[in-house]
Amino acid sequence: MCGIAGFYNPNGGSQVFDASIKKMLSFIVHRGPDQSGYFVDDVMAMGTVRLSIIDIKSGIQPLADENERYIICFNGELYNYIELRKELTNQGVHFRTDSDTEVVLKAWIQFGDKCLLKFNGAFAFAIYDTMDRSIFIARDRYGKRPLFYMNHNGHLAFASEMKAFLAIDDFHFEFDPQQLSSIFNFWTPLPHQSSYKNIAQLPMGHFLTFKNNSLKLQQYDTLNFPSQTTINSKEEACDLIHQALAKSVELRLRSDVKVGVYLSGGLDSSIITSLTKELTDETVRTFSVEFEDQKFDESSDQKIVSKHLGTMHSSISINDYKITNHFPDAIYHGEIPVFRTAFIPMYLLSKMVKEEGIKVVLSGEGADEAFLGYNLFKDTILRKSWGQISTSQKQERLKQMYPYLDHYSAENSAYLIGLYNQFTEEQTRGLFSHELRLQNGKFSNRLLNEKFDLSDQANLLLGKEEYFFNLNPVQRAQWLEFKTLLSGYLLSTQGERMALAHGVENRCPFLDPNVVALAAQVNLKFDNGYNEKYLLKQAFKNKLPNSILSRYKQPYRAPDVSAFVNQKPDYLDLLLSESELKNMPFLNSKFASSLLKKIFNSPPDQISTKENQTFIYLLSTALLNNQFVRRRGLTNNLHLIESSLVKRIDHRIKNVELSRVSL
Amino acid sequence: MKQKITDFLEETFLFEFDIDISKGEDLFKSGIMDSFGYIQLIKFLKKEFDITFSEKELMSNILVSYDRIIEFVQTKKSSTENV
Repeated sequence: MCGIAGFYNPNGGSQVFDASIKKMLSFIVHRGPDQSGYFVDDVMAMGTVRLSIIDIKSGIQPLADENERYIICFNGELYNYIELRKELTNQGVHFRTDSDTEVVLKAWIQFGDKCLLKFNGAFAFAIYDTMDRSIFIARDRYGKRPLFYMNHNGHLAFASEMKAFLAIDDFHFEFDPQQLSSIFNFWTPLPHQSSYKNIAQLPMGHFLTFKNNSLKLQQYDTLNFPSQTTINSKEEACDLIHQALAKSVELRLRSDVKVGVYLSGGLDSSIITSLTKELTDETVRTFSVEFEDQKFDESSDQKIVSKHLGTMHSSISINDYKITNHFPDAIYHGEIPVFRTAFIPMYLLSKMVKEEGIKVVLSGEGADEAFLGYNLFKDTILRKSWGQISTSQKQERLKQMYPYLDHYSAENSAYLIGLYNQFTEEQTRGLFSHELRLQNGKFSNRLLNEKFDLSDQANLLLGKEEYFFNLNPVQRAQWLEFKTLLSGYLLSTQGERMALAHGVENRCPFLDPNVVALAAQVNLKFDNGYNEKYLLKQAFKNKLPNSILSRYKQPYRAPDVSAFVNQKPDYLDLLLSESELKNMPFLNSKFASSLLKKIFNSPPDQISTKENQTFIYLLSTALLNNQFVRRRGLTNNLHLIESSLVKRIDHRIKNVELSRVSL
Repeated sequence: MKQKITDFLEETFLFEFDIDISKGEDLFKSGIMDSFGYIQLIKFLKKEFDITFSEKELMSNILVSYDRIIEFVQTKKSSTENV
């Protein structure tokens, strides 16, 4: 795993290119503390900070082809690089290293952008053609690795994390209220958004070409859940699921360093742990988060699985103080306003993992989206069938819908029928499945002075995805989850950003394209969807303890508003002082003040989910405003780049004495 | 009764009638009411005005706006008084 950054300046470069690219890399050095390297010519500079995992000795980046025409900066892993290398070798392609980076470069030279459909991996990379001075940038199909870019004063700049743009002296971060509105509605930016004006995100499954000062964005993969299948029995489906996941874990165990597993105690991570144990000779290292507050804690399940599978287990304990104390640092790494605090424990967990000498972890992200694990899917099925089922059936379903929410308790199930009556018809085209969630978003949007139309945001998200409207309601819900919550928060803010804050790489076996495609074929074919992830449970029923298979799915959560009310960290001044609030002119300070007044003066059980979320949005936006817009408290890590620099490729024509020097 | 309901709604959901929304406006569609707030509202009406809800009432759209809530409470109160 690595971080990449680069910029193209058609006005011609100079010695300042060296300083500029090093400064950009210094802001993302946490992603790759082992080595750094960069390329520079008269119009372009790009570089990599590297976390060495595969071919540690010769996989140094940037990597060039034999003629040094093409230069690649690669972030991520290509899991099927061995198979692809064989395919390329059979076609006469030669390799100089054993790295997956070289396979990516040679596959691109051989197949062009068609190589992307052959890739099974988590990646974002940039390839520069030194001859025609074009740039090709691509990102994996599920958005596991990030890539942001900007076109500033006619210059293209790109980076794994936006904080690299802090190195550009005349660029100023500014929140875009329209994008904040999307985040408040969907919990995450839309796939092409970043939260900030003039910065775009390369959407998952897309590539970007930059040639003759022209940018072109193209999609190479869609997410359409083809359900045609020849699978005719539950047993066959379970066998295939087991095989596909075992293959996926095997591919993701390819590493020259030891691989650990994040074990939450839930079904998904327990499956990963079980398969890892089957596929490795060594004792599996597992890691987890415990909470002092019992309502969030799953440590008893973690211990059951660890004991059952004989893992060497380590955990960290989280309390209110740790949440509030580490919120500013964690959100700096996350870069985007958030709706909950559950990413902070993951920030602390990766720190412990790194300290214990592990650089790579497997984790369970993607299982809920691929195999219908969320209550959102049950909710969609229920509301879609609302007119065809009896009142008592409705009540029974509602009792089981969100048992961890007090207001969904059995005593309220009759009342909730009246509420659900309001949500049986689609109000915004394409968003039927998410309309209850979007209610909270409407509330959070009151933080903004300007009002934005939800249907415009839906059009931005769905407008070019014509196939979306051919999906059934549950598949549409899946699609929306893949494109928003999964990539925009779970894989990014809570996932790889927190892991790489401490130089740990996460890998997600459930997000193998073959696993996702198989899930699409078998979902709801042998069950009605109300027993979440039924086939996954069946496929691993002989491998895991019964208590894990039969337990009700507990969403991973962490202390929210109550932690801040109890701890009152100093940085709350950013919200509680009127002059500080004015630093965010897009905010409706009157609404923000009344929300804060209620939160700090009401019993915790009187604070609703939407108020909780809105407070976290507000606080995270204020902290990011301080860090990115006002540039407060930034650290200079330039010395870390200087000390880890192992390669420099210089193609400057104007500097003949330095030309083609590789350190 | 009207003032009590107005105060409850404005204080619970952090808005002001005639500034943020009108009294006839749909509380769901305007983003004022969520599932948590809906249960809070029902419990408030039960406790404050001693109202019971029939199954039919729960199934109908009685609490979607301020005007509908007032209409419902007035009807319930008068039917109770007439018994």
